Amino acid sequence: MEKKGRDAIIERFRHIAENTPEYVRSLKEKGRLSAGYMCTHVPEEILYAAGIVPLRILTSHESQAMTRGYIHETYCSFSHDCAYQGLKGDYDHLDLIVTSSSCIHMGEAFNVWVRFAGFQDKSYLMQYPHIIHTKPAGGFMAESFKQFKEFVEKLTKRSVTDNDLEEAIKVYNHNRRLLKRLWEFLRHDRPPITGPEVAAVTLASQVMDKKECNGMLEQLIERLEAEPGQAAPGVRLMVTGGACDDLGLFDLMEHLRYDTSIIFIDSCTAARYFWFEVPEGRHDKLEALAEGYIGKIPCPAKDTVPGTGEKKRFRFVQQFIEDFKPDGVIFLYQRFCSPQPMDVVALKPIVDKLGIPSTELELDTTVPKAQFQTQLEALVEIIKGVTP
Amino acid sequence: MSGNVSINKKMDWTKARVIAAGVDIGAATSKALILLDGQPYASSQVTTRPHGESAFDAMKGALEETGLKLENINCIVATGRGGAQATFAHKAVSEIACGAAGAVRIWGPSVRTVLDIGGQSCRVIHCTEKGRTTAFLWNDKCAAGIGRSMEAFGDLVGKGLAETAEIALRSDKFPKLSDFCAVYAQSEALDLVRSKMPVEELIAGYYHAVARRISTLVNRLGMKKDFVIIGGLARNPGITGLVEGILKVSRLAPDPEWDPALVPVLGAALYAEGFCKRQGSDT
Amino acid sequence: MNNEKLLAGLDAGHINTKAVIMKGRDILGYATVPTACDAMSAARSALNDVLKSAGISGGELDGVVATGIFRDALAGPVLNVVASVPEYVADAKGAFFLNNKSRTVIDIGGNVHKAMSYDEKGNLLDVIQNDKCADGLGIFYTGIAKLLGISEDELSQLALKSTKRVSVAIQCALAAESEAIDLMCQGVDAADVADAITRYIVERVAAMSTYLPLTEEIVAAGGLARSQAVVNHLQRLIKHEVSVVSLPEYVGAIGAVVSHGGGK
Repeated sequence: MEKKGRDAIIERFRHIAENTPEYVRSLKEKGRLSAGYMCTHVPEEILYAAGIVPLRILTSHESQAMTRGYIHETYCSFSHDCAYQGLKGDYDHLDLIVTSSSCIHMGEAFNVWVRFAGFQDKSYLMQYPHIIHTKPAGGFMAESFKQFKEFVEKLTKRSVTDNDLEEAIKVYNHNRRLLKRLWEFLRHDRPPITGPEVAAVTLASQVMDKKECNGMLEQLIERLEAEPGQAAPGVRLMVTGGACDDLGLFDLMEHLRYDTSIIFIDSCTAARYFWFEVPEGRHDKLEALAEGYIGKIPCPAKDTVPGTGEKKRFRFVQQFIEDFKPDGVIFLYQRFCSPQPMDVVALKPIVDKLGIPSTELELDTTVPKAQFQTQLEALVEIIKGVTP
Repeated sequence: MSGNVSINKKMDWTKARVIAAGVDIGAATSKALILLDGQPYASSQVTTRPHGESAFDAMKGALEETGLKLENINCIVATGRGGAQATFAHKAVSEIACGAAGAVRIWGPSVRTVLDIGGQSCRVIHCTEKGRTTAFLWNDKCAAGIGRSMEAFGDLVGKGLAETAEIALRSDKFPKLSDFCAVYAQSEALDLVRSKMPVEELIAGYYHAVARRISTLVNRLGMKKDFVIIGGLARNPGITGLVEGILKVSRLAPDPEWDPALVPVLGAALYAEGFCKRQGSDT
Repeated sequence: MNNEKLLAGLDAGHINTKAVIMKGRDILGYATVPTACDAMSAARSALNDVLKSAGISGGELDGVVATGIFRDALAGPVLNVVASVPEYVADAKGAFFLNNKSRTVIDIGGNVHKAMSYDEKGNLLDVIQNDKCADGLGIFYTGIAKLLGISEDELSQLALKSTKRVSVAIQCALAAESEAIDLMCQGVDAADVADAITRYIVERVAAMSTYLPLTEEIVAAGGLARSQAVVNHLQRLIKHEVSVVSLPEYVGAIGAVVSHGGGK
């Protein structure tokens, strides 16, 4: 029975992750306000403090060319897909759409919603510093967050107090800690949960009311802690790269001809989404938020230290490799994304130097399963040292 | 069943201790190859068709006229993108590992870089003297289908691959076409017809663009000598010649005994033989 | 009626060169040959073929009207080209001639696809052509048929038998073909693959068509208009009824003649 309870919770998470518009409608029916956001550089806490449920716009994986008239050909399929859902009216129930000036592809998806999908009067574009590793970035962000807070207050016709913000920060930090605990299971030899399952839960957390999400996470973790863990995991694979909400792809990675398990996913749809905290109990809540968001594992689009060109993300990646001990690394990125594959150019030599074999997978709306499977199996064969 | 079958009639399978086979279900052609105690005995190539019949067809081709039956073979290893369809195979190994293993068997232990240019994909493989893969690079999406688009281009200019290859090699005057994408290159070539550019120059321009694209992939993984080229396009002297020129590296001379398209299936058969031997030593 | 001119229309396209012979409103013959990157030779043999099919000798012709991307390569007295018409104008005129209620034509050719709108006299109003990544839909279709070892007509029939929806990459013909092969390697039914590649083609054509005000009636032309599966998906995506003109590949060649005073 216990086992069944665990599976049921994960299934519910996965269902929400794959049917976000349905979840938005259910919020509406409960009389809740909801806001979609296009990029994780949006401080969700400000929305939550105002009683709005923030939800990330994820893709529908529907193959279509209709958006080619709205977004340039060589923009990633993630941005095309998100724009498409706006045009289709899947998210008409949202009260607001927000993005920050970070990913230019998602910025265009946002523009499509604003210009062509009926969101012109319910949208907000937040300013975000281009380079975050500079002294003025914090002040800039705090100021930008302040403007955003004022906008949200006007929209909801209520004031957002410091108490509201502190409460939201606490709910969100709690969510981050719970998610982190979930991922920590994967460090063990016999984890009671699989990588694709953790990926599904993490994805769902991005489109859910955080209080509801926290409740489900607590139940799940309680059950997992009581479990003995699964059989030995086989070859340990770590994924690093850009946004990927194709859960089927993670399933594929664990259904090869060889035993494999995903033990970590470094991407903005997985660990990078929550692997940070916002300082609690600070006098200035907006400064605290700015500090927290600057401390995130950087997105490659924002991650260049002026003068040295250093990429701070690499330190995190190296730390994850040390902690989670992958046997192989998969560089995963959206086709036509520029910052992610450019990161691979510099990151691959680091991974090579650690003696960890790697391969690259390029994402599109559709996935060539047979080819990806071959690539992944070839990677595992290198790891296993297969010789005729 | 259309296809190519070759059998070494001097060999007698009834005397063999280990009979091992590989079957390679590729995007365009499916191949099968049988080894008798490590020596090539029979091989066959057929055009790949959907529904998984190609695996049987290829195997049947290699078995025909030999009197061998499927159950006489001690171990069969499947490879290729459609390898999963070869339901009669005992094991499967990726075409990356098989390509490297086959290349080292044919060209010897000095091989370090294998360029595999097939109809649908283009791959660069690094390997050890034992044929073990150490790293590989698969073509990015924008470089997919190079082999097949060359064939389509040949159809457009109304010439076969052999003729276009020969033209490409001897033309030193050619337009610079897109080496980002074969669709762009094709369109740009077609548009130049309007300016009455001789078709020979268009062909040469197209070949140079494709060769630059392939060379980029090799350079991305890194060139370690010795270098060999395998896969269907290894038979195209236009491509191999231009790639060697761009990389400024000569490949090891092709072995006239071996069709370069059969290298991965040879590797698969070698893996099959290895499995048999290891099983034998275990018991 | 005897003073009606006997004219040939030559449409020199990227892939194929199409020829028709018309006297007044009557189409006396038509023929297609591959352009094979030599517009002049292709035009010559297309003209020979069409004369033969119409049972007419070259000397009887009052002239040849050229259109298509390579029309300039045919100019001059060699082929007795008396006029040259831009392909957009020819397409509009040809589609209007074949269906005088039509106001928009969507032409899916070998290398490019385009859509044109025109007025109640067949005069061109607006035009849109595909973007670069979507080039080569017809070449792609031919390639897939070859891959499957069937004719293009059979491929079109096959697509109609699809029972399960699968998709291929939408970016370009190369990616679509690569994923079509991937699907076959996964053991997906050929009919479903045929439907997926048909939808790829139509998605691209429909996306392009959104740039144009789609005025009814809408007709489809070009070789791919012969596929019922293409037309079905096109109607669904652009949310308009689409009929196919007779002789869809010859709409440009016919339009060339009509533009030069033929077709009356």
